[in-house]
Amino acid sequence: MGRIVYAAAMSHVLHPPYYEKNVGPHGKRMVEELIAVVGDMGRELAARRPDALVVVADDHLNVFSFDAVPAMCVRIGRSVSRMAQEGAIEFDRALDGLAERYPVHEELAHRILEEGLEAGFDFAASWSAPLDHAFLSPLTALHGGRPMPPLVPFWVNCFVAPLPSARRCFAAGQHIARVIANGPWNVGVIATGGLSHFPELSMARVGESDPEFDRRVVGWMERGEHASLTALTAKELHATGSHELLNWMVLLGAVAPARARVRFFGEMGRIDLAALEWLLADPQGGHE
Amino acid sequence: MSRYDLNVLLYRLKKDRAFRERFRSDPAAAVRAADLTDEEREAFVRWDPRRLNELGGSLHLVLSIPDLGAH
Repeated sequence: MGRIVYAAAMSHVLHPPYYEKNVGPHGKRMVEELIAVVGDMGRELAARRPDALVVVADDHLNVFSFDAVPAMCVRIGRSVSRMAQEGAIEFDRALDGLAERYPVHEELAHRILEEGLEAGFDFAASWSAPLDHAFLSPLTALHGGRPMPPLVPFWVNCFVAPLPSARRCFAAGQHIARVIANGPWNVGVIATGGLSHFPELSMARVGESDPEFDRRVVGWMERGEHASLTALTAKELHATGSHELLNWMVLLGAVAPARARVRFFGEMGRIDLAALEWLLADPQGGHE
Repeated sequence: MSRYDLNVLLYRLKKDRAFRERFRSDPAAAVRAADLTDEEREAFVRWDPRRLNELGGSLHLVLSIPDLGAH
């Protein structure tokens, strides 16, 4: 029987030059502290020897365009490439120098997709979508120089309205947990993005965040108050700039009723940074 | 409402370097064939990312177009 051996959610622009330019030296310092914490979390993940890593993140109109934006999409195929962006601005530059191809755990990806469709989740499938910073910046910080386990990239539409509901994302996570439980693999689950930033996706409000909201949602995760989290509405997520919490909702569905341990929380101003983990099974095989 | 066409142009500006160069040398000509309102067309021609965002342009696109990004 398969198990989720480790789960973590974290901010996904782990790129000091971005914060140095847009926030200043204290932003750069804060993200450097976060990167060090994520490195420690990666060692925790590696100790649990995952056979596969499900990574839930969003697209920033890099991979999907307004021609079609899937509410949720599973990446299938044998491998996945890093997005190439010529002349990239800072948050796309987080990709510079990273490996160009990563293995996909084909069998787990297919099970999540196919059993999802059977269960009523109309996931899209992609054979070619590359990964942008939302996937590769945290994965790189987690793994350092170690090889990554095969990935199952899973996209949630966090930005092109209408978005899937928090409740539906949570249900998708419960589905992923069922597929993992029915399979033979030890699996890690990573969700990325947030916390609050870019409220209303309005350029006039770039630079604002909502630390009070962020403290509240992180507290709910620490206490395992998942009903409060899934009750968050699209309007609340949009108003606070917490669109990317939808990725975290998938993870929460996969790990519920486990409670989060907060490894990092920093209020920066433009965005608050966080890294949380859920320790679901110890490395020797027993459940905690 | 031509939010689709507006965002298609922003996406092309991000991803298609040849189109981006045409736009930089003659923005009015580059967007002539697009199905835009006068207001949207003007925002492109003047390159006013904040206005494009107010008119429905994706924030992540207006922020991330190489050399024109508004970050």
